[in-house]
Amino acid sequence: MAPKPNTAVPDYRNVPHSHRLPTSHREVQRTFTKLSRQSLVSLANQWLAKKNRDFCRPYLLGDRGADAEEDDEQYTPAQSYEELQEIYKELAARKGGKREIQDRILEGDWRTGISMYQLATAEIQYLLDHPNSLRWTAKRLAKIPSGKNMALDMEVTNDSEHLPRFQAQTFMANLARELTPLMKAHYLLIKIKTMPMTILRVYIHDSPYSTEASLAIDNGSSDNARAVFFIWPNGSNFVYSSIANHFGQVISDDGRHLRDIVQQAIPKAFSRPSARYQLASTNFTTKSLDALLAYRGPGKSNAASGGWSIFQDHNFSQNALDFITSQNDHGKEKNGQRKDGAVGATAKAGPGRPKRTLEDKETSDAKRRREVAAGRFGSSAQPNDGQGLERVEVRIDDAFPAMPNSADDADTSNISEQPANRNRRGRPSLLDRSLDEIEELEGADAWVPDVRVVFQGSHVFAGVRQLVEQGIVDGEKMPGWMTGEAGVTIGAVKEGRIRTKSGQIPGI
Amino acid sequence: MATAEALDGDISDLRDRIATLQAHRASLTSILLSQPHLPTRLEQRPVLHERNRRNAAKLVQRQSNRNLENVYRACAGVTAYKVKDPDPCAVDNGNVLGVRIDVSVGGRFVDTYHVLFNRPNAAHKTMLKIHKHTIPPCIPLQPLANKWLPLTRKSAEEPREQDLVRFGRHLRKELASWHLRLEALETLQKDAKLPGRIALQEGLQGELEPGMVLNAFVSDDEDSEAEEGANEQDGTPRISSIDGDAAVREITITWSNGTVGIFKVTKDGEVDKAAVRTKEGTRDASLSSQALGRVEGLVRRLEA
Repeated sequence: MAPKPNTAVPDYRNVPHSHRLPTSHREVQRTFTKLSRQSLVSLANQWLAKKNRDFCRPYLLGDRGADAEEDDEQYTPAQSYEELQEIYKELAARKGGKREIQDRILEGDWRTGISMYQLATAEIQYLLDHPNSLRWTAKRLAKIPSGKNMALDMEVTNDSEHLPRFQAQTFMANLARELTPLMKAHYLLIKIKTMPMTILRVYIHDSPYSTEASLAIDNGSSDNARAVFFIWPNGSNFVYSSIANHFGQVISDDGRHLRDIVQQAIPKAFSRPSARYQLASTNFTTKSLDALLAYRGPGKSNAASGGWSIFQDHNFSQNALDFITSQNDHGKEKNGQRKDGAVGATAKAGPGRPKRTLEDKETSDAKRRREVAAGRFGSSAQPNDGQGLERVEVRIDDAFPAMPNSADDADTSNISEQPANRNRRGRPSLLDRSLDEIEELEGADAWVPDVRVVFQGSHVFAGVRQLVEQGIVDGEKMPGWMTGEAGVTIGAVKEGRIRTKSGQIPGI
Repeated sequence: MATAEALDGDISDLRDRIATLQAHRASLTSILLSQPHLPTRLEQRPVLHERNRRNAAKLVQRQSNRNLENVYRACAGVTAYKVKDPDPCAVDNGNVLGVRIDVSVGGRFVDTYHVLFNRPNAAHKTMLKIHKHTIPPCIPLQPLANKWLPLTRKSAEEPREQDLVRFGRHLRKELASWHLRLEALETLQKDAKLPGRIALQEGLQGELEPGMVLNAFVSDDEDSEAEEGANEQDGTPRISSIDGDAAVREITITWSNGTVGIFKVTKDGEVDKAAVRTKEGTRDASLSSQALGRVEGLVRRLEA
């Protein structure tokens, strides 16, 4: 690590891991108050591990040195790393409030400041503790077709590669090269062991300097989200991006702009000569990381959602050497019933007793509806599968049903003028018709109103499934996109199907 | 307390026994139902209730269907079937053609993959389009589809023939070779006496760190310093981790002395490129050239 320059000169370096923020810094305070006791202890132990000590130097007794005037200090500095490790192990074993740990870290052992590395690991810890805390947009790294290599790209040979190559060091160097002239940033790239993905956190430091002092300056007025997260699921060409805003913090245009700069640099960092990439939208936004991994992840589930989920697991495709026909069905049915019964019992424990007896003698109608729902949704859209989408928005692009009365024609022409005038406030929606689409509509003689349907809730498709089971939505006439099988959260529907680009294979 | 535990143990033993017996009964049932002359005998013998005869015939029919399907699947590897799309708005009245690929590794069927086709073009009834599939993204489905299942596009100057059979064959090859590489990676980890993937996942619960920091540029080996001392005595660094990417096209091996090697693997399992760097950053050309060859023997060649 280079010695810290005393003078502040604009430079071309990244913010290193070991630069510290004062503990009173707003970002530090926010991040640390969010974390649970258990996570705080585990983080402190990580920071004290031998390999991380360079980046997370605690305040030890040896650091006190000459200016030993602080007698009224609350926490006496520890002698050594080993002593601190012991202290935190003991704290981990004991019960207590989280405030105790938080104060010990911020006012005691790391009173001189929290390093960028610590802040980054703390935020990633929070993200892993609360996988639904941020809103993610899934993008796809798409190769820009170049005329010369077109035929070559299509070829599948013994050593051809169809996914962008990901080498951590090369990627970081490329990304820093793209970004440092525009802003200073701290990067942390971490390969997660519990989930198949790699997280990049970029802490944006909007300043020409990369010194520790410039980091600490809080440009008071603007309360911006400073960090941006990107996630690569292993073995696929998707990228999820998100602004790490704290609860209740608004994402200003500044924050969004900075994220866009980083986002634009990412495909460039992946590119190499004769293989250029760009980010393409996949029309998918959600807060749940599990849902992202299911719909845009590395596994089998990307293009087989909704009712097609039966093809993912073994309940449709039994092992080719499994000849037993009798037991499987029986066992499953019994299990299913038992599970339903248990759910009913726990849900209706107490005052809902008479209701439950009603449910037991399920009418043949209700049974049929449940079977229809099972047929349409397969094993997906269970209320507690953790893969809930919060918002699904579609635009219906079908022509208005023709009226038998021809006098209505005059009216409709008037109505079609209206939406253009009635400008909605805020940013333009992704669903706003493009110029091409408007032109296409004007060529046709049918009136196509701009109708949008928004489903919102904790788990949209589980909700639709319940509506089908209750008989509110007709499970047999319901179009396929209502089961979630299109795998998008925003889209245009024509003739009952979500529009897709031609030649595009779903889920890739 | 002891008696309660003993009772719990007894109960779980009984449950296990019930499960084994049920499995045994099920397999006996399917053997009985597979008897070659059973349908004819059922027809000939008198029965008390006509309904029982019908039920029995149905069961026999189901078993023989399953037997036939499994024989095809086990022998052909790629099989086709028909599906009805429940979506009332589906193209072509919801007729869907499914292609099922069974991958076997080492005498066992490890996984089944599906590709489902529909016919979006009413004018060209034979043109198939991929509707849904369960192929992981690390398999080059799009290039294969571009090659063997071209859609009628105006831009394509010479429309290639659609060839579903060759598409299936190539896709199966990709999937099978991917599973073989996964298997080979596990064998390598076993060769180097490292905990396998399953053991790692089980051990993760107690682990402190959520992941591996990739841009910290320090040794990730927790007790590297202690080991370096030990290594100086016997002079042979050991392999501390073997990692592969999702498609197992690239294997990263880390030694306990900080040497890192990256090995490119072709789809059929040949290490064709290798780069080994020591901790100081110098290339180790001899190790790199030793690594070239079949992937299965990689660890043996490196340790030789």
